[in-house]
Amino acid sequence: MPSAEVSDAQLIARVLVQDDRHAFGELVRRHQSAVRACLRKLTSGNHALADDLAQETFLLAYRNLRSFRQQAKFSTWLYRIAYNAFLAERRKIKESQLPEEEEAEDGALSADAAAPLSHSVALALDLKRAMAVLSEGERAAIVQCYHNDLSHEEAAYVLGCPVGTVKTHLLRAKQKLKARLGAWAPEH
Amino acid sequence: MDQDRADNDDGWLEQALKSDAQAAGYIADDGFTSAVMARLPAPATLPAWRRPAVALLWLVAAGALVALLPDLFYTVFGSLVTLFVQPPSWSHIGVLLLVIGATTWSTLVYAMRAE
Repeated sequence: MPSAEVSDAQLIARVLVQDDRHAFGELVRRHQSAVRACLRKLTSGNHALADDLAQETFLLAYRNLRSFRQQAKFSTWLYRIAYNAFLAERRKIKESQLPEEEEAEDGALSADAAAPLSHSVALALDLKRAMAVLSEGERAAIVQCYHNDLSHEEAAYVLGCPVGTVKTHLLRAKQKLKARLGAWAPEH
Repeated sequence: MDQDRADNDDGWLEQALKSDAQAAGYIADDGFTSAVMARLPAPATLPAWRRPAVALLWLVAAGALVALLPDLFYTVFGSLVTLFVQPPSWSHIGVLLLVIGATTWSTLVYAMRAE
């Protein structure tokens, strides 16, 4: 019976050597929240699609577990599979058919417009809308570096691009977010 | 200098992004793991006839080897017999190790084929 003390590497070894499905189940339980949350961000909050992609991610992980060389953390490897599954889905479905969050209005989002809401809730809502204006690469870089708390190098591994590209995506994303959320910036 | 200024200016945005990430919280499993496990491919099971068929093939192969190389068989068999009736010599030990190695290899090949 897998316990909390058992490392991911030990569970992976059990799956590979003994085809221990309980061990794989434990890996899924450990990482499902992070993978689903990551995909929910990438799909702009489409929970159903995100969960379908998360299931696909774990099935692909099971089939390809032998190719996992432990060069990265298991969670990072899962994020990479999840991101590739997301990209494959995007290729299959036209962008217009993907359920997107409602279009953000043109122009900067206003803090005053959200006056009845608490500061943090209003900022979170505005941030969600502002994220919609980011390009796919910019949004993916923000998700990997802030939501998944990965380093630039790890994010580059997940996104399959050079570290410099990740940094550029982050810089541009922040510029766009700052422009959209200018009303939330503290006054000097 | 400008970079420092920019970093300071970005502080509120960094904080907002981190707060947003933390606000996501833990997503309850709610049957997700069970759904994944149900979709895993079925364990590879061998047809019932395959294991005895493989054993039979090994037996046929061994028989053919004896038929083709009777001298080798008699040498090995004779060595095994003398091994148990006489004190072992280095050559006997060598032959024994050879037989053990061949048996182990065959068993491993068989086991891996079965898996």
